[in-house]
Amino acid sequence: MGQVGKRLALIDGVEKVTGQVRFAADDAVAGLAHAALLFSPHPHARVLSLDAGKALAMAGVIGVWWHQTTPQNGYNSAIWLAGQQLLADERMFPAVVRHVGDRVAVVLADTEATARAAVGLLEVTYDVLPAILSPEGAQAHAGPTVDADRQPTYLNPVAKAALDHGDVAAAFALASHISETHVTTPRSHHCAIETHVCRAWPEANDRIAIHSPCQSVFAVQAVVAQALGIAADRLHVTKSPIGGSFGGKAEPILDPICAFLAMQTGRVVQLQLSRHETFTATRTRSATEGRMRIALATDGRILGRDVEVTVDIGAYCTGGAYLPGSMLQRMVRLYDVPAERYRGRAVYTNTLPTGAFRGYGSPQIHALGEIALDLAARDAGFDPVALRLRNIVGPAAIDPWQGLNLGNARGADCLRRGAKAFGWETRARLAPGTGRFRRGVGMAAATHINGCFPGDDESTTATLGLQADGGIVLNCALHDLGCGSDTTLAQIAAEVLGLGLQNIRVTPADTDTCTYDLGTRASRMTYIVGEAVRKAALALDQAIRDAAALALNAAPQDLTLQQACVQSARTRISLADLATWLAARNTALPIATQTHRATANPGSFAVHFAEVEVDTLTGRVQVNDYLAAHDIGRAINPMLVEGQIHGGIQIGLGYALYEDVAVDPGTGRLRGDSFARYTLANAPEMSPIRTLLVEKAEPSGPFGAKAVGEIATVPVAPALVNAVNAALGTRLTDLPLLPERIILALQN
Amino acid sequence: MTLLNVCRPTSLAELVAVLRGADPVHLIAGGTDLLVGSRALPDAGRLVDLTALPALRGIDTTGPDIRIGAATTDAEIERHAGLALRYPALVQAAAECGSVQIRNRATLAGNIANAAAAADLIPPLLLAGARIAGLTQGGAECEISLQDYQAGSGMLITTVILPAEGFDPDSAFVKLGPRRDLTIARLNLAVTAQVQDWRLLEPRIVAGALAPRAIPLLRAASVLDAQTLTADLLRAFLDALSAEVDAAIAGRASHGWKRQAIRGLGIDLIARLLKLSNRDPLFDGVM
Repeated sequence: MGQVGKRLALIDGVEKVTGQVRFAADDAVAGLAHAALLFSPHPHARVLSLDAGKALAMAGVIGVWWHQTTPQNGYNSAIWLAGQQLLADERMFPAVVRHVGDRVAVVLADTEATARAAVGLLEVTYDVLPAILSPEGAQAHAGPTVDADRQPTYLNPVAKAALDHGDVAAAFALASHISETHVTTPRSHHCAIETHVCRAWPEANDRIAIHSPCQSVFAVQAVVAQALGIAADRLHVTKSPIGGSFGGKAEPILDPICAFLAMQTGRVVQLQLSRHETFTATRTRSATEGRMRIALATDGRILGRDVEVTVDIGAYCTGGAYLPGSMLQRMVRLYDVPAERYRGRAVYTNTLPTGAFRGYGSPQIHALGEIALDLAARDAGFDPVALRLRNIVGPAAIDPWQGLNLGNARGADCLRRGAKAFGWETRARLAPGTGRFRRGVGMAAATHINGCFPGDDESTTATLGLQADGGIVLNCALHDLGCGSDTTLAQIAAEVLGLGLQNIRVTPADTDTCTYDLGTRASRMTYIVGEAVRKAALALDQAIRDAAALALNAAPQDLTLQQACVQSARTRISLADLATWLAARNTALPIATQTHRATANPGSFAVHFAEVEVDTLTGRVQVNDYLAAHDIGRAINPMLVEGQIHGGIQIGLGYALYEDVAVDPGTGRLRGDSFARYTLANAPEMSPIRTLLVEKAEPSGPFGAKAVGEIATVPVAPALVNAVNAALGTRLTDLPLLPERIILALQN
Repeated sequence: MTLLNVCRPTSLAELVAVLRGADPVHLIAGGTDLLVGSRALPDAGRLVDLTALPALRGIDTTGPDIRIGAATTDAEIERHAGLALRYPALVQAAAECGSVQIRNRATLAGNIANAAAAADLIPPLLLAGARIAGLTQGGAECEISLQDYQAGSGMLITTVILPAEGFDPDSAFVKLGPRRDLTIARLNLAVTAQVQDWRLLEPRIVAGALAPRAIPLLRAASVLDAQTLTADLLRAFLDALSAEVDAAIAGRASHGWKRQAIRGLGIDLIARLLKLSNRDPLFDGVM
């Protein structure tokens, strides 16, 4: 074991910090044309006319396009596979715009400044239509989601998910304590440093190349093909290095337009959004409101839960139709509850579409569940940790919705070890104080998935091959979003092959050279792709030993790979020499391809503990101490795992205390549309963080590993809300806990 | 294709010549307001960079009046030992503007000319009775009080003068924003007074972010005047601060929160003036 478990630096770290990485918009290209978009100022309006005369008269303007001059194929930007059944309700430029920031027209020009200036000269007339700006209003706008012609109707709910498990009525009848809690969660923005960008250009054979910071090249290919109504194989998509995503770049928003313009003009086209546009015209985390009733027995057993959730998915379906089901899936995998009733619905509003964002429904449903459980514990007189220990699922539990085995579920270990390390028993008993500053501790548990199983395309194919120089190339449709997944996967391959990290070269995703993979999503990189890499590495190890056996005149089973050599007790050959030896004999270099098809979807678990101090006069919350316990299976690279946890806490802290893009209920505009108006937790707001990794191997994961990327942010908000409520004796349940809300709660 | 020309005068004479020219003049110093993406740059005229004028830089605390060059950065104010001794409120305010990077660029006169309701330097400057020396649009020298300054009037600020009689070493500034650092004030307060035997003599207080321009809180200050600081007095002071908020922004969405938050900020202000922690037992009975 040489590589797994080591704190190794990112394989592209030096390149990044020395500015050598070329992001999508970095390379100077002769003849590069720049596109700029005109966005709707109205939340709902028919675009009646467009006068582009003045814009077209500007020197340097190449053209102007809008709904009458662009393909009107319906598409859904959240698909990752052609033929995926999701409401295809988006258009590149719709005749009826459905939210402030919806796309009205595009200008292509020789420079970005010209394109943007020309956008300002476009004259558009609108017929302004009534808008629905709240989920409550959306409920009244109800009907079938598609009409008789299978066209989207924009009526609600877009999607539903339901579970009736066990006898809920009997559970509540037997309960010694019943509580009901209503929680709202805000829309939040990803805040990646790189704004959204795409480049496209014509290639030989009537094809279009798209270079994009994306989470799946195959998703880009499928979406653009659907939007343009062309065959997918006319699109050659490559993944550029990515300056942050967090789910914000999971959906190709600009790519269809960029590809269309390249096709139309034969130019290399770049479309890059400004920071303001990235806030107002991409995606957010969906806002939710939920109500949870919990029936507790005298011994703290959760007898039943009754849950209603409404998800505001914004103006287009995107992946929002999956959210009610995703939230249900995550909810039922945390506690062993004999009776559950769940009703979830997703509704359209005339607001910015929502999409993937670190956890995809998990932060919302666990905020509801964990705040509700904490208030129930308080009312019934249970210690929050003890109550959760009484109910948390154990290894090999079966979830009641999909019937999946949760694998080596170690949430209880996180609870016990985390509580001990945090000093929960002592600290939870301390009085909050009576002065201006009140102290409180809180905690929350969470679970998240590992990949998309039982989805029928949850598989991936990895190829590892020996190169002429003795190095190993890993080919797989890889999309490192900056989290270090390339490094983790290289560590897995290096471990098996007895190599160092420097011996493994990782190629970025390319639709022409990689086999299909559904991309970086659903916490699947380490668990799913890592296992494919491990299997390919084992196969390559065999292939190399077979080849070396000839070169060394030894039996393959007597050979091992160590330190870039193949060796037995009496002889050795370096991989470089082996490659030369094979090439000289006109023999193919060893290469191995393995497909890993998932057969399980175990749970990753986490329990977070926080101490906060609340200023009862100003309503400001300071996080003083934080401990994150994670059931990780096996940390392939503990340093990167800790990095994920730290980053997850930063996002969760903002979710709990500050962040809200806040759609104005009167105008449909976003209030938080810039870094000046959208408050992120910055360094001074971060608490000291301790991490505790529970490493009990998951048998189905590579070297026992499970996911950490998304779950790291999931328990943060409820842990902090529970700590604030403990400090103040309040029942704050509307996120974020803005100072105004805290002061109002104290006054009431 | 742009019609905007940039010039960077290095002497006042050169600057005056530019001001007297025919082109519309747009002034830029640190650029922390003009260059951020959410604002459109002017598309014609002369963009006059004021950062190469020695006459506009520097802090002189050696005379009775304090004189600060208009293009002096927040960071220079923050680090100036002489200023910290003579008028801490201004140094404290400069230290809480923006981030390290912003403070390295942003200038004193920029904060005045931008005239944001939440500007952090304005309350301590108003308290000190600051005067502004500068040039009219025609290039003539002029001097007015900060109180009378109108943003957008075309006056070019060259020097900010704190008259000897206006400021006092017993002064302090505090601020409350959405987060602790790199934050725009939702409320800020500056105070000056002579501190004697747990009494504040002739205290004066100015609040920012409570009205379009920073406003003096005369009634709240009068509560403190010459009285021994006790819990009862402080409570009366905090009540008076809340009443000032009621008078300023009744009916606004932020009213309910600000009338309470100003109580916390009021304690922070007195604590900082007295060089105490805001957790000092003095404040225990105030809640």
